[in-house]
Amino acid sequence: MISLHVMESIGGQARRAAPGTNWTIDLIEWARKCSLSKWLANAAGYEEAPVPPDWIVAAVGAGIAVGLVLAFISVVAMFSIWLERRVAGRIQSRIGPNRVGPFGLLQSLADGVKLLLKEDIIPSGADRSLFILAPALVMASALGMFAALPMAAGAGFTDLNLGIIFIIAVSSLATIGVIMAGWSSNNKWALYGAMREAAQVVSYEIPLGLSLLVPAVVAGSMNLREITESQSSWSGACWLIFQNPICLPAFVLYFVAALAETKRAPFDLPESESELVAGFHVEYSGIRFSFFFLEEYGAMFIMSALGVALFLGGWNFPGIDVLHGGWLVATQLLVFVIKSLCMILLMIWVRWTLPRLRVDQVMVMSYKYLTPIGLGLVVASAGWEVLVAGGLPFNDRPFWMQAATPALVVFVCLLLGWMLRKQSVDSAAAPFAARSSAPGAIQT
Amino acid sequence: MVPSSETPARGAAATLPVKPAGQGDYDEDFNLKPKFATPLARNEREMVMDVRTQDMEMNMGPQHPSTHGVLRLLLRVDGEIVTGAVPYIGYIHRCAEKIGESVEWIQYLPYTDRYDYLAAMNNNLGYSMAVEKLLGIEIPERAMYIRTICAELNRIGSHLIAFGTYGLDLGAFTPFFYSFREREWILSLFEKICGARLTYSYIRIGGVFNDSPPGWLEEVAAFCNDFEEKWKEYNDLLSENSIFVSRTANVGVISVEDALAFGLTGPCLRGSGIAYDLRKAQPYELYNKFEFDIPVGSGRKGTVGDCWDRYDVRMQEMRESVKIVRQCLAGIQEGPTLAKLSAALRVPAGHAYVGIENPRGELGHFVISGGDKKAIRLRVRGPSFCNLSILPKALPGTMLADAVAVIGSIDIVLGEVDR
Amino acid sequence: MVAPTHTLKSSGWFNEVWLGFWTALVGMRITLKYFFKKPETVQYPEERMPIPDRYRGIHYLEQEKCIYCFMCARACPVDCISMEAVRHGKELEWVSFTVDYNRCMFCELCTYPCPKDCIHEGKEFALVTYDRRDLVLDLLSWKGMSAEAKQRFEAAEAAKASGAAAKDAPKAGAAPADAPEHS
Ligand code: SF4
Ligand code: SF4
Repeated sequence: MISLHVMESIGGQARRAAPGTNWTIDLIEWARKCSLSKWLANAAGYEEAPVPPDWIVAAVGAGIAVGLVLAFISVVAMFSIWLERRVAGRIQSRIGPNRVGPFGLLQSLADGVKLLLKEDIIPSGADRSLFILAPALVMASALGMFAALPMAAGAGFTDLNLGIIFIIAVSSLATIGVIMAGWSSNNKWALYGAMREAAQVVSYEIPLGLSLLVPAVVAGSMNLREITESQSSWSGACWLIFQNPICLPAFVLYFVAALAETKRAPFDLPESESELVAGFHVEYSGIRFSFFFLEEYGAMFIMSALGVALFLGGWNFPGIDVLHGGWLVATQLLVFVIKSLCMILLMIWVRWTLPRLRVDQVMVMSYKYLTPIGLGLVVASAGWEVLVAGGLPFNDRPFWMQAATPALVVFVCLLLGWMLRKQSVDSAAAPFAARSSAPGAIQT
Repeated sequence: MVPSSETPARGAAATLPVKPAGQGDYDEDFNLKPKFATPLARNEREMVMDVRTQDMEMNMGPQHPSTHGVLRLLLRVDGEIVTGAVPYIGYIHRCAEKIGESVEWIQYLPYTDRYDYLAAMNNNLGYSMAVEKLLGIEIPERAMYIRTICAELNRIGSHLIAFGTYGLDLGAFTPFFYSFREREWILSLFEKICGARLTYSYIRIGGVFNDSPPGWLEEVAAFCNDFEEKWKEYNDLLSENSIFVSRTANVGVISVEDALAFGLTGPCLRGSGIAYDLRKAQPYELYNKFEFDIPVGSGRKGTVGDCWDRYDVRMQEMRESVKIVRQCLAGIQEGPTLAKLSAALRVPAGHAYVGIENPRGELGHFVISGGDKKAIRLRVRGPSFCNLSILPKALPGTMLADAVAVIGSIDIVLGEVDR
Repeated sequence: MVAPTHTLKSSGWFNEVWLGFWTALVGMRITLKYFFKKPETVQYPEERMPIPDRYRGIHYLEQEKCIYCFMCARACPVDCISMEAVRHGKELEWVSFTVDYNRCMFCELCTYPCPKDCIHEGKEFALVTYDRRDLVLDLLSWKGMSAEAKQRFEAAEAAKASGAAAKDAPKAGAAPADAPEHS
């Protein structure tokens, strides 16, 4: 009944916020007029079709929504896995999976089928109920986060006023699942993974939240749809990362914190292969293991999508305003997904470059570096908005400012690129034992 | 888990004479003896806080991705902090030394390949030199040049593995593939000169088996040029990376005294700041002809003798090896590659010890001959085996993730530890 | 960005943040460079790496030259060569010449002592079977005697017979040589 309540309140709120644009509501309306119920009513001899009670409608709607999300998350996760393996291959001078399907695109599907068919092993010493429940909880958190994503102007499951907070809150659910998995596996390595996950996620929610406050401050809203809409203009100059120069470091901060939240390298301590073998899911196999896998890539997508919605203009793209109706929604959806995949690509690129941090360094990084930076950025962005931009929305600012901030951001990026042009690190200056030293002389 | 000494002693154990009481792993009451010198004790924090805590003992290995083979480490941990470590070895013991007493002199050569399989050329060289010392024969100069080239190339190959797997241990996957890409070239060079990629059996008593094929020396020169470029990339990618430095600097510091007391050799010893390299200390083969330096640990990123120093010594040694190979290529002349030896080799009675600088340290062969076709005794001093002994000293006080870093920086090959 | 927590040479908060950020970028530049380069790997069953001439693979035997002297078998450290033949004067009637690839370590020590230089290691390396007994391979290309050997042997026998019993009635001509039995 709690879920029913949530669905109703979400649906009610959505109807108030954006009438007629939310297709979940349309779905529920459609279910009300469902021809099956009419047919049943006729068969029973009633004149008028009885409107099904609200809870049935809500449940059917929720079921369909969950099905859609599940399908979407699976497809996105499988594609990301393929992408990751191919990109990793190319980065490492090899090819990557290329046997199943064109370019190996069906490799993930084949792996999924293999995992489905595998024996489901539950260790004899495991806490069975927790062991079974943990992947489900982890999966639920990934599904729940999708609810608040603004995928396109008219498409999205809900329209929450506190969308940012909702996503952060639901993403923490996965941690509980991971801890359950680590504890119930009755394996010391798994327990280590779980404990690391708990510490890491709790610590990184602070910089993550702070980095999300920056776009909230700039856009003046916590509603993801509103923030995205505030970034629409004919050019891309209105994207939040260009609206305010503070948003660029905030985006980097968000990216780092998102890496830690999704347990991606260099923060993959909970499942570090070379230390904890596989961390919290070391005892899992078959379909339960694949749940953890799907969740990881699903969470990656959601964190990327959130970054896209908040910093990179969401569904906006220069020039797509010429489209109308369904085409516009479809294109916006496509733009949103492609932008998110680009951010996933960035995550993959980082993962295959950097070594892993140690557990205490992860903590130090959060509390000593990222949190102060985040605090500073929030203050600085607010200062910029009030003092420099005069509290005006971006499109009302003087033209030179509309041009200057994007130019500044682009300039910084180009400057970094230019500095990277040449070999940077000189480590050839190693000390040598003096050549003249007598053979075997021991120098201490 | 090993029961602590708090486990109540079982009485009337006389009916279980598995082993004589008090010997082996069991004490007088046939309880398993604690593996550590001190039994598991309740943590001091218990007195302060209201929680009962106790250290945990856990097995790292023998099937663990970061123990570089089948090393088993019994760790005692307090949360993430390692408080004790005992290495268990012997999982791939193959009686190599004993076999040496039952095969002919030449026939033992393939067995030397198999103890440090990442540096088989150096192993061949060490064994051959020990037997040659007993034989008292002259090795043709070209053979010595080819031997040196092969040994140095193999040192580069071995250090490349150390570099790549060290990145892997610390979670960086890509350097591993890059290092294997370069090593592949070295392996194909060896394949061209002797036909094998890992177990070469190429350097033999009295010289080498085959002369180098045409074009081989030029390809070695090409490799040297290419490798120096790639070497810079390795440093950019890993050595100077801030995460890597913070994972390795000041971690697993081995002091000079410890390094000497535990008999460390090779990069582990030089990482602690001691410029002891057998190629300079007791120049064998042609090494006193060549210009090269001995890199030593400097504490550039942290303390002298930390993991970064040991890693850096290996990185620098690769460049020094390239230098040596270049000088070999400049100096090599035409000539025979094998000394005159009778087919059925009989070695004069006597004993000889020869230590050479293997990529991991001093690889010593001690042979006793009775003047026959076989050795009476053959013993090996393996560098990995001795270097490994520092682990119980170096690990306590580090964190669990550091344990992986320390093992990786010592760069053991279990094939040679267990032999 | 990264915390050198206990680095003695701490270089200040801002410098550490910058170093962490910068060295990560430097690394990413290198990985990006290789992203756009051609992969180094080959697609194994379709493409293969060239195998050098000196490759030490599965042996092959030049059976005509072999004189059944056991030098190779004696040189082998793991005793994996065994052979059996019947001598007919100078000619050999081969029964088997096997190498046990369960034990062989491709060290090539067997090829050097061969007085006729007739055992070599070839370029074949794939030794995949479902049964380890299949790994004992026979190197003979024919069993028994080759056609020429048989002819020579029979001619010699005939000569011997005619020399020894010249007075007796001359025998019929040598029987036509059978086709060699291939293994
Ligand atoms: S290659 Fe070595 S092991 Fe194999 S048969 Fe020849 S001598 Fe024996
Ligand atoms: S050593 Fe040569 S000739 Fe002698 S048996 Fe072996 S293969 Fe034949």
